[in-house]
Amino acid sequence: MGENNLTGIYFCFPKNGNTDVVDISEVASYAGSIPEVTVTWHSGNLPLTDINSLAATIRNKSIKRIVIAGDTPGFEKAFFTKAMVSAGNNPEDIVLASFREHGAISRADTERAKAIVACAVFGVPFDLAAAPDESDVNTETLVIGGGISGIQASLEIADSGNMVYLVERTGTIGGHMAMFDKTFPTLDCAACILTPKMVEVGQHANIELMTYCEVRGITGTPGNYRVTILKKARRVNLATCIGCGTCSEKCPATAPSEFDEGTTLRKAIYIPFPQAVPNKYLIDADSCRYVQEGKCGVCAKVCPVEYCINLEEKDQEIELTVGNIIVATGFKPFDAKKIERFGYGRFPNVVTSLEFERLINAAGPTGGEIVFRTQDKKGNWIFSPDSNKPKSIGIVHCVGSRDENHNKYCSRVCCMYSLKLAHLVKEKLPDADVYEYFIDMRSFGKGYEEFYERIKGEGIHIIRGRTAKIEEKGRQLMMRSEDMLNDKLIEQNVDMVILSIGLEPRQDAKEVAKMLGITTTDEGWFNELNYINDPVSTFTGGIFIAGTCQGPKDIPDAVAQGAAAASGVLKSISNTKIKQSVKDLTLDKIESQAKQLTNI
Amino acid sequence: MNNRVDPDFIKSLNKFGRKDWNACMHCGNCTAVCTLTDRGVLFPRKDIRTLQMGLTSKLATSVEPWMCYYCGDCTDTCPRDANPGELMMTLRRWLTAKYDWTGLSGLFYRSFTSLVIAFLLVAVAIIVIGFIKKFNQADIMHFGHSLEFWMIIGVFCLILVPNIFRMFYFTVIKPKVGAPFGSYITGFFSLIGNMFTQVKTLKCDKQSLRWFEHFLVVIGYLGLLVITVYLDWFGTINQIIIYAGYITGGLVFFFTLLLMFSRLSKGSQLTKYSHSTDWFFIIWLFLMGLTAFLVRVFIDTGLLTDHFWLYMVHLIILAQWGILLVPFGKWTHFLYRSFAIYFSNAKTSGLKLKGQL
Repeated sequence: MGENNLTGIYFCFPKNGNTDVVDISEVASYAGSIPEVTVTWHSGNLPLTDINSLAATIRNKSIKRIVIAGDTPGFEKAFFTKAMVSAGNNPEDIVLASFREHGAISRADTERAKAIVACAVFGVPFDLAAAPDESDVNTETLVIGGGISGIQASLEIADSGNMVYLVERTGTIGGHMAMFDKTFPTLDCAACILTPKMVEVGQHANIELMTYCEVRGITGTPGNYRVTILKKARRVNLATCIGCGTCSEKCPATAPSEFDEGTTLRKAIYIPFPQAVPNKYLIDADSCRYVQEGKCGVCAKVCPVEYCINLEEKDQEIELTVGNIIVATGFKPFDAKKIERFGYGRFPNVVTSLEFERLINAAGPTGGEIVFRTQDKKGNWIFSPDSNKPKSIGIVHCVGSRDENHNKYCSRVCCMYSLKLAHLVKEKLPDADVYEYFIDMRSFGKGYEEFYERIKGEGIHIIRGRTAKIEEKGRQLMMRSEDMLNDKLIEQNVDMVILSIGLEPRQDAKEVAKMLGITTTDEGWFNELNYINDPVSTFTGGIFIAGTCQGPKDIPDAVAQGAAAASGVLKSISNTKIKQSVKDLTLDKIESQAKQLTNI
Repeated sequence: MNNRVDPDFIKSLNKFGRKDWNACMHCGNCTAVCTLTDRGVLFPRKDIRTLQMGLTSKLATSVEPWMCYYCGDCTDTCPRDANPGELMMTLRRWLTAKYDWTGLSGLFYRSFTSLVIAFLLVAVAIIVIGFIKKFNQADIMHFGHSLEFWMIIGVFCLILVPNIFRMFYFTVIKPKVGAPFGSYITGFFSLIGNMFTQVKTLKCDKQSLRWFEHFLVVIGYLGLLVITVYLDWFGTINQIIIYAGYITGGLVFFFTLLLMFSRLSKGSQLTKYSHSTDWFFIIWLFLMGLTAFLVRVFIDTGLLTDHFWLYMVHLIILAQWGILLVPFGKWTHFLYRSFAIYFSNAKTSGLKLKGQL
């Protein structure tokens, strides 16, 4: 480019009060240092108005090209087109450098913004210049998390003929979906969809299932990651256990069942649930008497298979080498005890939605009967089939979500699963009254609004107004709310209250992100490369995210994202080349690549 | 009723308090969490709605802000951080200005400078009177005593009674509630009871201690008023009256001191946001109690003749209190709160009569 190719850059940035934006003055001073650039202009949020003076500047400085940089450069283009025409230049020599479109959003992305400007000045598409290097790829993949998203991703990759290691923290795959009774909006049985997939994962020749394992460390580069996995002592040999259940029958120690959300008791040697994959027993060290006190060992004595139960087994560390990693670690349900006004933990018949899912599940603790919580002989509050049935049930939406004091975001699934639960209550107890208190009904998906209309027609009282507190009134619970569409205060007595708890990132999400070299939002959801057009890739090459670890989402979306992550992995496998991390791209590198491209 | 929309109303309200009430998403949490809401008496959400829509004339019919004793539950639990409790406080200030026919309340709430100027003017007037009377102790004390008396009569007849009638007009006559006449008679005794005890505060969950402090301030203040104005505390030789004066004066300045500390520590939602007029109110009440107490101490120890400036200070504070703070400031909540309960009960029986409740 010579003298006759001088460029002017115009920076537009809206003043909307957001302070965490790209540092425009730094980008501008960088842009001024590019040799071809003669003039840089700044702007407030107001568009320019004086075309003549701008055209004069363009003529005087003999500017031939204009770059408009900022978040919404397109808005200013029309004005510059006029100015260029009246200055006698070609109006097509106006290039837009959109920061937001290319992922330069916050102050930390200032370097990226500089690169975007540089590419625009050189007239090279940003995505072309900012392409990371490629390297060879290991065809094996690690999937972290065995929920529906991880299962879907594993199956997609394994079905294509590539090896997958599926690492799951608990004793079985299935995740939260395995706990649900029905799925909205079709009211399909969750287990009927999930368990065949689980069995397929368990039997697939290309999937090595590693349950009761945790990823401890990751080193290496994209395409060639070395992963350290902690294999927790299961104390039962997976290869020889026949799943007969004799050990569990005789085991004297009990603990609250994780799978039933603590609403039933399980033994210290147990299968998480009857359809678990692998369908083999494991020993929970925290409740096992042999591990804790050194005496007992009944299970080993009664086990019909020789050397199957090894109570002395220790944790092991395994090393794997993989090319790509899919992170599908899922979510943590909101702890309803944090909101004391709702009395969860104080009143036995205030239950969380997840507990109620177990209660209403035909394979759950009561065989699907909706009953009150009862106390067993040892004083544990459990669900037992011989308890009484409630005649009225209240449902509180947005527990822990859309709340400045807890989680500001909408958890996205609660409205729909609450409607589903209301329907299921009506199905099992047709005479029961169901009262739903919501703030806004968010039925946003395919068939969801229709589902809402259907539930409204089933005689469920759906009331607009957030329940503010729950108090005990005799044997009943009083829910105090304002019916804000009718300007009435409602003090509704019900027998049972379901709290529709929201979704939260896993407690250790930030540590996991640090280990993987990816970033999280302030709350702890994993960050994607681009929320809109690349929702499964991360700034680290070869690491993909899927499911609710990226943000609250329902089952269809989690499945879709699992499959999308698998396609990202398969792209690199079938190319036999993998792109290195986007975060390693320096400004100098993008600049030199852009210069090279202009020479072609 | 003619409902005119004032889109800038929400902005103009910023002078009376501070918070962004547009944050409210109308979940109704505040109304339901409040222990004082009842059938027919719903707040604060309803008023936020009216406010957001800019329906000023409808807002003026609302007695609900006076029903709130600011325990802060709504603000603590508000999912949008919209601070409905402070809204109620702000609306009380706005309503005080609305009821006041002179418009001075509104001016003092909106402009701190005008409040200070008014205070200075009163102080200058008292000093001028001091010069006219050549700082003669007996003359000035006699003048002070009659000033107290005429201030009470004047403020009551010229400002407070007309303002109560304006409140009655805005809240009961204008919205045409059609309250039965009997309800005004039956409600009268509870009106008096509420006025002097503000006993409804106790329905708030965590307000018992604050109510007690407030009650003692009221008792102290009213006692001091009666003892100085009608029993002539500074002139009497009756030992009982003198000691009673000491006790009431002490109550006022001690408990106002406590209330000031709680406003400084900002421990509760109530004390988090203090308007400049709140500070004037409490500081002047404190100074009144303190200076009255000291004047009598000086009289008893025979120091007053040499230190007559103290009585001048007391007189200035008294005049500022009586002429500015009582009729145009926070003092009026003493009346408005109890009359609001009175009118609200009348309204409720009117609605019941119509079968709307």
